[in-house]
Amino acid sequence: MLSQILERADVWRGDDLARAPLPGVSTGFAELDRELPGGGWPRACLTELLPVRHGMGELSLLLPALARLSSDELAWLVCVAPPHPLYAPALQAAGVDLSRLLVASAPGRDAAWACERALATEGVGAVVAWLPDAQASLLRRLQLAAEASRMLLFVFRPPDCAGQPSPAPLRLLLETAGEQFVVRLLKRRGGAQPVPLPLAVHRPLPLSHALACPASAELVARSPCQPLIA
Amino acid sequence: MADDVAAASGVLPGLRLAEAWGLLPALAIQERAAAREQAALARLACWAGTFTSEVCVLPPQTLLLEVSGSLRLFGGTALLFERIVRACAEQGFAPRAALAPTPLAAQWLALAGDAKPCLVSAQLPHRLARLPLTVLGLSAQQQLRLASFGVRSLADVLRLPRAGLTRRLGSGLATDLARALGELPDPRPRFVFPERFVERLELPVRVENAMAIGFAGRCLIDALCGWLAVRGAGVSECFFEFDHERGVRQRPATVLALGFAAATRSAGRIRRVFGERLQGLALPAAVERITLRAEAPAALPSRTGSLFGQQGESAGGDSLAALVEGLQARLGSGRVHALSVLAEHRPENASRAIPPRLPAGEKFPARRPAAVQRDALPGPRPLWLLARPQILREVAGRPQCGGPLRLLAGPERIESGWWDEAERGALGDVRRDYFVAVSPRAEWLWVFRSQIGWFLHGVFA
Repeated sequence: MLSQILERADVWRGDDLARAPLPGVSTGFAELDRELPGGGWPRACLTELLPVRHGMGELSLLLPALARLSSDELAWLVCVAPPHPLYAPALQAAGVDLSRLLVASAPGRDAAWACERALATEGVGAVVAWLPDAQASLLRRLQLAAEASRMLLFVFRPPDCAGQPSPAPLRLLLETAGEQFVVRLLKRRGGAQPVPLPLAVHRPLPLSHALACPASAELVARSPCQPLIA
Repeated sequence: MADDVAAASGVLPGLRLAEAWGLLPALAIQERAAAREQAALARLACWAGTFTSEVCVLPPQTLLLEVSGSLRLFGGTALLFERIVRACAEQGFAPRAALAPTPLAAQWLALAGDAKPCLVSAQLPHRLARLPLTVLGLSAQQQLRLASFGVRSLADVLRLPRAGLTRRLGSGLATDLARALGELPDPRPRFVFPERFVERLELPVRVENAMAIGFAGRCLIDALCGWLAVRGAGVSECFFEFDHERGVRQRPATVLALGFAAATRSAGRIRRVFGERLQGLALPAAVERITLRAEAPAALPSRTGSLFGQQGESAGGDSLAALVEGLQARLGSGRVHALSVLAEHRPENASRAIPPRLPAGEKFPARRPAAVQRDALPGPRPLWLLARPQILREVAGRPQCGGPLRLLAGPERIESGWWDEAERGALGDVRRDYFVAVSPRAEWLWVFRSQIGWFLHGVFA
């Protein structure tokens, strides 16, 4: 009897990861896959990403999964309201099929509307949106729209939202420890995982070969030396 | 003709106007406009193209649809009949419809208001026998003659011998009876669908609010879709024209162009785009007439329904083309784009926003290998390229962005471009040394140094 109840998908044990109704899309980082219910980015779910600042590798974190969706599942990617123009050569180099990419620069409330429309569209595999001033009610609507589809929905929000409650079933705080990219799972189905998780997201080059500034080599030499992690 | 409310007060056809007003002072009189009835019937004939290509128009008020070829597609007689009647009512008409194996029998049943479908020829004598004589549309003289034989109903007429009937009343009635019963063939002239679709709709009242035009617009869209279905075509753009009130200062017609990412004849898609565009439309004056024109239909073959549910054009879920159109209609066409890579050494030119290209009718898209591998790039390239390079402060020879930047890789020299110097908006000649830099807050940036100074150009997001 008890074992039957424990078998149910909507029952999880406190010490266990929740079983996801759909298998996730592998993130491309084995250590992160292990911590996520479903073994990857969850489908039909709103994933909230809170990077502490731009340019730390927050989009590179998603690229392995997005590239797999676009090249293996032939699914479309929809990017809504990116803060800066996306650069095609870098996306293509990361394996994203540009012929199945759609970018919508939508201001304010239109951005959430565009997400909702994209989630209701067949053939779309993932929606990546930057919604800096989304309210909880709006996120709730997006979560419902995501549940009705089978898609990945990533929403980037500012880090000060970390303290506020959110309807997103999966919330990740992206930060850096020294120069290492670190993910902190703020919320997931199956209990929070407070330990920060260092990930080797793709960076243009290993940090180890710092370059002397050709114009002022002596200045670089005098700058305080920071611990480097390759 | 009088509507139900008027009829209840005793207003009947044949009454003089003064008497009618005596009975019902609030009576509104509409003069019958034959030309508009004609136009409405032609529009309805186009609309009927959704259901069948065999349409026959019998002015002033009859439309015949030959539906035996469409039964399977629409799931049987009962469903099709119900759907046609409902759709016709949605067009703003109050149809009296009937279904019968011969056109004349259908006409007579409809005139008598007998909406029960009659599917088998063998039932026809029985069904027709119940109709009153008035449906035959006989002249007064013929009616008198029939009355003189003691004929009171259609059943009595059917009982009479045909030869005698021909001798006494002329061959017209006997032939009609034979045609109605299916004993004689009854070919009808087909409605010729026009080459170009231009349909006008006079609004019953002057409309100032754009949203109130929605209903009239949807009627025209349905007619357009029927016309397209018959032609096996789709439109990638069509135009609504709103004619304003005639008067001293008549304004030119407001034109609303609807564009679609791919040729379509789905009424739902066209309606949705129309609805979105209408929301943002400001009318300079009241509208009294709407015209819908479709200039260049492109061939759009119908698709066979797939085994497991519908896909593509007629899909229940939104298709990608509908998404692109919806976004373009609300955000503006410039704000929805795809990206492509250009073989250009200047970073700004290597990435280009292009209008989204949708695979047309692509069922199993070919798997395309990524053309450029990561190492094929000339150097590290950021995921975000700022729209305009942002100037950076320089302190003691080092660029600053929230503190001194640490340069990790470079310089990568990117220079020249004199060939488009004269073009407007072009980048022109450049001479830049690019570096990958990390800020004290661990942001990965793409910066360059030119003759003027340091600039931030990209972010390795």
